[in-house]
Amino acid sequence: MTIAVERLDELVTALRTVLRDEQILTSKPDRYNRARVPAPFPVHRWSERLPDLAVLPTSTDEVAGVVRIAHDLRVPIVPRDGGTGLTDGAVPLRGGIVVDVKRMNQVKELDLENRTVTVGTGISMLKLNEVLGKHGLFYPDDPASYPCSLVGGRIGTSGWSLIGSRYGHTRDLVLSFDHVLPTGEVMHVGDGIGHKISKSSSGYQLKHLFMGHQGTLGIATEATLKLFPKPEAELSPFWAFDNYDDAYRCVGALARAGVATFAGAVLFDEWKVAYLRRDDEAYIPQPGDVRALVCAVMYGYEDEVRPAGKRLFRIAREHGARYLGDEISEGDWAARHDRYATPLHGRTKSGQVVPMSWHCEDAAINYTDLPSVSKAWHEIVADLRRRTDVFDDWGMFTYTSGNTGVDYLTEIDVGIWEQQLDDRAWEMWVRAKRDIAAVALAHQGSISACHGSCREGEVDLVPDELGRGYDVMLDLKRTLDPHNIMNPGKYLLDRAYDTGAP
Amino acid sequence: MTQLDRQGPADPVSVPFTPGMRDNPDELAEMPEEIARAVEEPADPTPTEELTAEWRNASYNCFSSGHKFCREVCPVMQVTRNESWTPTAFHANVVAMDKGELTIEDVAADYVNCTQCGACELRCPNTLFTGDFYRFRTRTVDVVKAVRALAVESGVHQPAWQSWNARTDELTHEPVLGETPIDQEHVRDWSEGLDLPIGGETVLFVDCEAAFYRTSVPRAVAQILQQAGYEFGLMGEQWCCGGPAAEMGYVDQAMRFARHNLDNWRSTGTRRVLVLDPHDYISFTEDYPKYFGEEFDLEVVLVVEVFAELIREGRLTPSVPIERAITYHDPCRLNKRKGIWQEPREILRAIPGLDFSDVDRVTQWSYCSGGGGGLPVEKPELTAAISASRLEKAAALEVDTLVSACPWSERPLTEAGEAVDIDVVDIHELLAESLGITVGGSRNGGAGA
Repeated sequence: MTIAVERLDELVTALRTVLRDEQILTSKPDRYNRARVPAPFPVHRWSERLPDLAVLPTSTDEVAGVVRIAHDLRVPIVPRDGGTGLTDGAVPLRGGIVVDVKRMNQVKELDLENRTVTVGTGISMLKLNEVLGKHGLFYPDDPASYPCSLVGGRIGTSGWSLIGSRYGHTRDLVLSFDHVLPTGEVMHVGDGIGHKISKSSSGYQLKHLFMGHQGTLGIATEATLKLFPKPEAELSPFWAFDNYDDAYRCVGALARAGVATFAGAVLFDEWKVAYLRRDDEAYIPQPGDVRALVCAVMYGYEDEVRPAGKRLFRIAREHGARYLGDEISEGDWAARHDRYATPLHGRTKSGQVVPMSWHCEDAAINYTDLPSVSKAWHEIVADLRRRTDVFDDWGMFTYTSGNTGVDYLTEIDVGIWEQQLDDRAWEMWVRAKRDIAAVALAHQGSISACHGSCREGEVDLVPDELGRGYDVMLDLKRTLDPHNIMNPGKYLLDRAYDTGAP
Repeated sequence: MTQLDRQGPADPVSVPFTPGMRDNPDELAEMPEEIARAVEEPADPTPTEELTAEWRNASYNCFSSGHKFCREVCPVMQVTRNESWTPTAFHANVVAMDKGELTIEDVAADYVNCTQCGACELRCPNTLFTGDFYRFRTRTVDVVKAVRALAVESGVHQPAWQSWNARTDELTHEPVLGETPIDQEHVRDWSEGLDLPIGGETVLFVDCEAAFYRTSVPRAVAQILQQAGYEFGLMGEQWCCGGPAAEMGYVDQAMRFARHNLDNWRSTGTRRVLVLDPHDYISFTEDYPKYFGEEFDLEVVLVVEVFAELIREGRLTPSVPIERAITYHDPCRLNKRKGIWQEPREILRAIPGLDFSDVDRVTQWSYCSGGGGGLPVEKPELTAAISASRLEKAAALEVDTLVSACPWSERPLTEAGEAVDIDVVDIHELLAESLGITVGGSRNGGAGA
């Protein structure tokens, strides 16, 4: 859906009062390249998801000015940061303005005493850590998209961190931020009004409300982040198992051990190992008797990581683990960001390599439910695969979400031959996502621990997951965004309004 | 009690398997296919369809890759933060053209914003993990060249590139000095007084920028070779290598120039071409073999590698101390495109007196001068911004000198260096100085020399 030409002219004229011409992008390629994220995308329907224009603001004031104009003219606004999100948050469903914050990437204040940094939300964790590294510090938000996802997007999606068991996830690491409300007003969100307070008991706790809203409640523009000493030592042993059950028991025991430097544990299932084993040249070869892999990760000072590592090695051995050696362990962990993005392993059932996109469905699942959830999920993907080579099962992994091992990010990776997506294939996929989410809910899990849950398919189950809480979402959306300007169509929040469309 | 029962039905897709293995059950192959079909190619394809057919899978491999690690190493993206000018956008546009959503007229101007440095290719997970195992290695530089060529073929020109190539065609050399006359008569002026022969088995090819603007570079190279007793001559009638034309999409012109040069080498009995400019090195080792196939049987030798070898063999011994605090700028076409990063460092470490703050080559994947790929011709302000960003990184090391090994990088880097009081010198010149050679020539086209 796009807005009429005369309204577009009116909009551009209005935007010129707050932005320079080169900050307002209206060309077709500018719009096409801001219409997609890595989530599977019905490429044949690309033109249905275009913004009318994109803007590149450089300050909170400019963002606020743009939002005020959109509010006045009733034009949709979609915030876009890295655009690496896997849940469509940055994809415009109703046209309008994409607010691309990539130019807001400055480090504004580094407070070495209180251990905080204040940044524009358009900075990536990689670039930020290059600056912090000189001071022996780091910001431990570590998504798979670490080199190119941006702080603002992490806030908007309330992202999950690979080393979150030790340092916490984005919601724990962001102390406070400037936020432009759907009306164009600017507020500061955090514990209390101080920018660097980590715990306050004043008033309602609003920080979580303005994180993970997928751009439906405004735009974060400047954030103050918690910093840690750059770890002196990192230990990331990978262990092989000849059966899934032992590996599953092992990962639980590692997470429950209560080791202070423990930053995460991962379990790769038989399907994932089969996927990794497809191409010895591309990946580290695994002997045929390896059926599951477990990785544990520790960060800290040398003299705490070493004894902690001994304890975890002992636990692993007791569960039948075979250590894969330093080279594989260090290399595999170092590759944690790149590996998930490698799209090449798509294969038809007969073995033909085809370009496929990586897609993942995730959930938060309690430890005890992991085996049955994974079994049910693989069966859903097998059903797709029985019907067509458009889909390929790339296996599952589960990752501790917290340092006690209560629940796990549980993810199934599916290869999708996007070139072959048509309406039928897309409908098959959307139904599969709905089924996958239903399995998570049937096990008292959440339908996302990591990527959000506003994509077509799974989003249908959000009201079921949240119950009365979903109605509170509608109440809040209507109150904060009276004209449904911010990212309309997402999270089924049009239900908050009589008419739906703005 | 945890339920670990994972025994599924006997259905072959219900258990993990490796597609294509001979011992897979027959039922796998017998499953009916509801959707996936071969792509139908048009019988009489348009130029755009030809391009998208060639690049479709490669572009999908980028499009479908979830993360865009290329972005943070892209020099244009670093200074513009404009997602339309990223390596991944260049691939996505091809996908959109394949789907009939965008045309070459829509996208041509965006493809100006690339220096063809190749950083994105190195940083792409496709390349990092699988090399060319599936023949899907990400080749953004080639995609950019192909789309620019399609634009020219379709009559969509960028104004400055069009006039630049017209003037190059007219002069047989690039108009590096703008309005200053450049022609065949003056192409060897840089070598005045060095008494160099013409032709012979080995000739030194001097790129247009070095031949007309930064003449101190070829003078240094020639004098070092003479000191080492390395026999070589100058080219009979040297034209521009044609590389810039190829980079900007003027392929026919590039091939005409290449043909002239090849014929001229043949006429002087040349078997070996010495190259001091990394851009020429790309032209002669990548473009020319593509144009001529097996007919191009000349040896192409990079001067920096020769010098490192001569130092190793003891035929050159830098001994005059040079008291400078330096860092080294890896030229994109050496480090990123060709993997040549050790030899320049060998040379610098052999020069006494230098205080060398090195930046490792991988970190330098995200560095560029902005001087390549025709960017300075069409968007000099972006080149300047990229050079300024490179000099900022040098300034953080508290050096007084930035050493490069690429004449095309040195003009924009020098201009940016003035703002932070850092001198930009060429590695060949520095070596010559340490060998006690008085180089002569100009580092700025003779202006105010």
